[in-house]
Amino acid sequence: MESASVAVGQAEPHEHHGPPEAHQSSRIDRQTLGILLFIVTEAMLFGAFFASYFFLRVVSNEGPWPPEGFELPVAVAGVNTAILISSSFTVHWALEATRKGNRRGMQMGLMTTWLLGSTFLFIQINEYIHIGFSGRDGAFGSIFYGLTGLHGAHVLVGLLLLSFANIRAWRGHFGPKAKDHLGVEVPGIYWHFVDVMWIIVFTVVYIL
Amino acid sequence: MAVAIKQPGLARGALGFIVGSAFGFGLVVALRAISGLEIFQTEQTGYPHLVVPAITGPLGFLVGLGAFDYWFRWAAGRPTIPEDHSQHGAKSWRDYFKFNTDHKVIGIQYIVTTFFFFLVGGLIAMLIRAELAQPGTQIVDPGVYNGLFSTHAAIMIFVFVIPVFAGIANYVLPLMIGAPDMAFPRLNALSFWMLPIAGILFLSSFLVPGGAFDAGWTGYAPLSTGAPLGQSFFNLGVQFAGASSVATALNFLVTIVTMRAPGMTFWRMPLLVWANLSTSLLVVAATPFIAGVQFMVLFDRVLHTNFFQAAFGGDVLSYQHIFWFYSHPAVYIMMLPGFGIISEVISTHARKPIFGYRLMALALIGIVVLSYTVWAHHMFVSGMFAWLRVPMMITTLLIAVPTGIKIFSWLATLFNSVLHLRSTAMLFALGFVTTFTIGGISGVMLGMVPIDIHVSDTYFIVAHIHFVLFGGSVFTIFAGIYHWFPKMTGRMYDEKLGRVHFYLTLVGMLGTFIPMHWVGMEGMPRRVADYAAQFGDWNLMISISSFLLGIAQLVFLYNMIVSWKWGPRATANPWRAKTIEWQVSSPPPIFNFDEIPRVVGGPYEFGVPGARHAIMGGEEAEVRKPEPAVVGAAGGGGGGSPGERGGP
Repeated sequence: MESASVAVGQAEPHEHHGPPEAHQSSRIDRQTLGILLFIVTEAMLFGAFFASYFFLRVVSNEGPWPPEGFELPVAVAGVNTAILISSSFTVHWALEATRKGNRRGMQMGLMTTWLLGSTFLFIQINEYIHIGFSGRDGAFGSIFYGLTGLHGAHVLVGLLLLSFANIRAWRGHFGPKAKDHLGVEVPGIYWHFVDVMWIIVFTVVYIL
Repeated sequence: MAVAIKQPGLARGALGFIVGSAFGFGLVVALRAISGLEIFQTEQTGYPHLVVPAITGPLGFLVGLGAFDYWFRWAAGRPTIPEDHSQHGAKSWRDYFKFNTDHKVIGIQYIVTTFFFFLVGGLIAMLIRAELAQPGTQIVDPGVYNGLFSTHAAIMIFVFVIPVFAGIANYVLPLMIGAPDMAFPRLNALSFWMLPIAGILFLSSFLVPGGAFDAGWTGYAPLSTGAPLGQSFFNLGVQFAGASSVATALNFLVTIVTMRAPGMTFWRMPLLVWANLSTSLLVVAATPFIAGVQFMVLFDRVLHTNFFQAAFGGDVLSYQHIFWFYSHPAVYIMMLPGFGIISEVISTHARKPIFGYRLMALALIGIVVLSYTVWAHHMFVSGMFAWLRVPMMITTLLIAVPTGIKIFSWLATLFNSVLHLRSTAMLFALGFVTTFTIGGISGVMLGMVPIDIHVSDTYFIVAHIHFVLFGGSVFTIFAGIYHWFPKMTGRMYDEKLGRVHFYLTLVGMLGTFIPMHWVGMEGMPRRVADYAAQFGDWNLMISISSFLLGIAQLVFLYNMIVSWKWGPRATANPWRAKTIEWQVSSPPPIFNFDEIPRVVGGPYEFGVPGARHAIMGGEEAEVRKPEPAVVGAAGGGGGGSPGERGGP
């Protein structure tokens, strides 16, 4: 590994300064493109579970779907859906407030979003407790918990990201300049994805 | 010791591992106690008190290693410096065992780690061939044999071929596009450190009750859902390797899109960059499928869900569909970066522009698109929907078209050039074109439903997969390692030993895998420790050839280690290549460039008078230029005038 010291040796005269700034070769910034690609990955992970869902429902299932003895609380989940969708608007409000330099609005928007998201998760856990079947009860139980649980895990990750944004907002970070509010914008994009994905999961699992 | 524990590093990582494992163990015990279950479930597939620590332990290791230190500070709103380079560069060999954010250090870490696993996987292959040298079972019993071929494949695929390409590209790709580093250096380092975890999980499955996972690298349900504990380690290892590969692919895509040097349009990117762009597209969109399906298997095993339990309404065949929806694109994930390497090597060493550069790039994109439409050709005999067979056959045959474009373009590039048969990289490239074409043709044969049904689960499949993965991928890896060895280490390797390595490898490879076609055609089944006596002679020859192949790699190992330490110093551009990574010193300076280079032309314009690919900025670059022509251009006036001279 002598070569490593050679590298440093040759670079010594200008080691004190950092690297040259990379040339920005696209209008999109790194963080936004990164989160969009991550969302593509996440969507495909859901794709794997949806593939399994349709195999279980269409290919191997005989008789009604959901099978006899399973009932889903569509009304409760519908209210929960409304709660999650409204949080998409509040996170957008937070971003707009940040862009306009309205610190109070940003903090309120982020906090409301976080609370709405937690409420959604709380109601979902409650739904699990009272639903009357577990993941071990037939393939329907497995894929129901698989899809909603996978989504719940994503809500948890989204809440974690929003917690960071909240902490930083209260500590006085973020500003109106595009570079300064990525910390609100990027979790916001992810949060929108979590919401849209829930609409798909809700439609497929509860309504169709 | 107390100091070592406080600093991010391996010592704190070990502590993190212990704390993480203890936490996972405690969690399982507590949850089971609360829900009134037996504390230690010892059913054959379950063992939650071992499986959960196998997840939390490695995560604790990563925390201890320092992978998340910066992000924790950031999350808590404490002051952070985004352009923090305190973890950048390597001053001694010890820095290679740290959480390092330098793409060049990470590249070396990747390559050395993956070659370690290559060696382990190779040794397992030697054991397999020793067992198969004669009919009957002599060395290992059939159960252990199943574990051996499964770990051999899992290690070679998930912790050698896929990540070694990520390692090579990690090193050269940012240099090639004129970027000071990858887009997300800390994510890059995290991606690397998940890799040894995956490899160790695969290997540690040998130590758990029931032995190593033995359902093949495909882990078909329900074989895998009912297998002993080792199978869970396969599920988890795939998750870590998959997360690593997705994070790297995302990083490559963002780097390529947002960090190209001025003037580096998409149609001026070297083909290696194109190849990694298309591979990363495949990884980002396909790898989550294997993650999803391995999660389902793990849930079936540990949580007793019913995704694949036919008796409870599960669908067994859905495993194969979801698995191959990833794993067919995965064979292109293992091949496209190699295509990129071969384009660089052939063009540079043949001193000719790539024939049909744009078509070469478009063929890569064509393969990406088509590769999503062929997965069920692995399932012709699985009992899937019969109507899916013919469409899959047609798309499979279609995918030979873009691949054929690439082969013919390489041949056209070589046409009328002076072949340098003394250059090891070029030899491996030529060997690749030959053996990969053979493997491609047997692939077209396998695409036809009737032939596929005849040779399913025989050694014909083994022959095909090794012709494309060994004769294909591994040859391109060797070509790439020899090609960029001077750049990475600053030393020259011994070309004579390199040629010995090539010829021994080629002979060993052909001797091992050609006869497998014949015994396969006659019906010798794969994945069985024993076989009919009539195949004995051929198998003895295969085993002897495979030992030759194994010994040949020792030559490579010796050459690399000795040359790295004592080899003659390499100049900046020993192959007189045009791409940017060769215009900086060997090895490159810690931050790659003092000034971002300006790209003024295509990457392969060999023999075009006055053509240049890039103009390097700054005076330091001028000092290190050995070639008079380049010094003249760079010395033409530092900042302004090179632009006027080379501007489009």
